[in-house]
Parts: sequence; structure tokens; C-alpha cells
Amino acid sequence: MFCDEALESVEAIAAGELNPDGRIAEHLKSCPNCAAALVSARALEGMLRVRPAPKPSAQFTTRTLARVRRARWRTEQFLDVGFNIAIGVVVLAVIAGIWMLLNRSGLVAVSNDAVDLFGTSLVAFARRVSPSLPLYAGATALLATALAIWWWAERDSTL
Amino acid sequence: MEAINERELVERCRRGDEGAFQELVDRYKNLVFALIARTVQDRSRAEDLAQDVFLRIHRGLPYFRGEARLSTWIYRIVANVCVQDRGRAAPALSLDDERTRARVTPSASDRQFGDLELRDRLEKAIARLPTNYRLVVAAHYLDGVQYEDLAEALALPLGTVKTQLHRAKQQLRRLLETDLR
Repeated sequence: MFCDEALESVEAIAAGELNPDGRIAEHLKSCPNCAAALVSARALEGMLRVRPAPKPSAQFTTRTLARVRRARWRTEQFLDVGFNIAIGVVVLAVIAGIWMLLNRSGLVAVSNDAVDLFGTSLVAFARRVSPSLPLYAGATALLATALAIWWWAERDSTL
Repeated sequence: MEAINERELVERCRRGDEGAFQELVDRYKNLVFALIARTVQDRSRAEDLAQDVFLRIHRGLPYFRGEARLSTWIYRIVANVCVQDRGRAAPALSLDDERTRARVTPSASDRQFGDLELRDRLEKAIARLPTNYRLVVAAHYLDGVQYEDLAEALALPLGTVKTQLHRAKQQLRRLLETDLR
């Protein structure tokens, strides 16, 4: 029974957290099993104290920051897609609402006239613009190239 | 002084200052990695898990209210990551398993083969402990980690942490004694 009590305390004694009182100290002197347990507990304590602390690799910080950037980029992408979908839904809802409003108020005939007027204006505009079309096409291609380069650079920096 | 720096660092990280986050990683990487590597005992897995810890820190910083010390909060994340990894942990190893011989990398100060052999056996014995015991043993013998920090990080009473540590050491002693007999 007393051995159990002494064996329960050997770890704390070996770690220097407990000073054995007279009764336990006497027992540790007289009982070879408990004395051996204290010796091995002290040896274990010594080994644990000098156990080397593993160090991370030299690239640890760089790799971690790259992983954080990737995770942030993914989150932003996810939010962007969500935002675009939400905007699309809102635009569709507004168009549907306007169409329903026109239908209910009997303004469809008026709106048909408006569509015809818009079509005629569009044709007139196209005729006037057609001589400068190559210039507009060139400007659009330049803008598309700039946007593509920006997208590529942005994508590369987040990887 | 250090607490003020810590608060400033957290604030800068919250504002999206990448330099501040790099400073935070540099400040805590040795502690986080040592804790995890001692618990999972597989270097490449430990590196992955340590990165996971910093990823969680980055995500969680906006919600960190500063009620606990930053280091305590980080220990808590390390503990969660290690416990969650338990399901994927390798099966317990025999102390004589030849496959594990290369796991312990001796430092230059090791002079005697006996020391290496003992250390090797100690590492294998630790690998056979339950995760919570491994974590407590890993943390307690790292510089600067107090019983109080551990108790707060693991959300356990101080006495329970001490008891777990003593039980872990008893179990280790038994494993080593049985093995050396």
C-alpha cells in the first residue's frame, strides 16, 4: 500500500516539484523497488530536459506566407464569383420587374415604338461610326491586351 | 513591454500588414514547430501542420479579442491541430521497429552511442503515448511554456495538466523499463 503511495510521487520528486516528507523519504531508502523507480524517474527527467527541440526548415516562413497568400487569393476569388452572381441575379430581377410593370400598365405598345426608335437610332449611329471602325477595333484590342497582361501578372503574384 | 509589442503586432496583422504577419511567424515558428514535431514525430507532416497553425492564426486574428495572451491562443490552436491530426496519425510503433531508426537526428554534441540509443528509444516510447500526453510532454519541456499557459490553452484545470504530465512520465518509464529488461 505504501509502495503505491511512494510510486505515485516519484515523478514529482524527480522533477523537483515535491520534497519527500520523512515517511516517503524513509520508504525510498528502505524499499529497493521504489528507490529504483526514483532513479529511473530521475534518468527520464534528465533525458526529457535535454531532448532537442526540432527546428523548422530555413524556407518555413516563405512557404507559410505563400500558403497564406494562396488561401487569401482563393477566398477573394470565391467572394468575387459570389458577388458577380449576386449582381447578375439583381440585374435579371430588375429586368423582369420592368418587363412585368410594362405588361401590367399596358405600356408594351409604347415600348415597342420605343424599341423601333432605338433600332433606327442604332443603325444611324453605326453608319456614322463605320469609317472609324478600325480605330475603335485597334483601341479595343489594346485595352484587351492590357487587361490580359494585368490578369496574368495578378495571377502570377498570388501563386 | 512585450505585451505592448504583442498587441501592436496583432493590430498591424489585423490591418493586413504582411510584414507584421511575417514577424509573427518568425517569432513563433520555432515554438510551434517544436511542439508539433515532438507530438507527431514526422518532420514533413509537422511542417505541414505548423503551416496549418499559422493559416488558422491568420484567419482567426480578426476575431482575437486579446483576452488571453497571444502565445496561449497559439498553443490552443496547436493543441487543436494536433488532436485533429490524431485520426490520421501513423500506427503505434514498436520500440524495436527498424523503420523508425532514422527518425532521430543526433546533434553534434552527442558523443556516446548509448545516449543515442536511449534517446532513440525515448522518442519511440513517446510516439506510443496518447496524443494529449505527448502534447503535454512536448510543451512542458520547451523553454518558456508554463503549466499555467498549458492549462489555459488546453482548457483544463492546472491540477489536471500536472496529473497528465505525471501519468505520461509514469507510462514512459514503464515503456522504457519493459523495453530495456
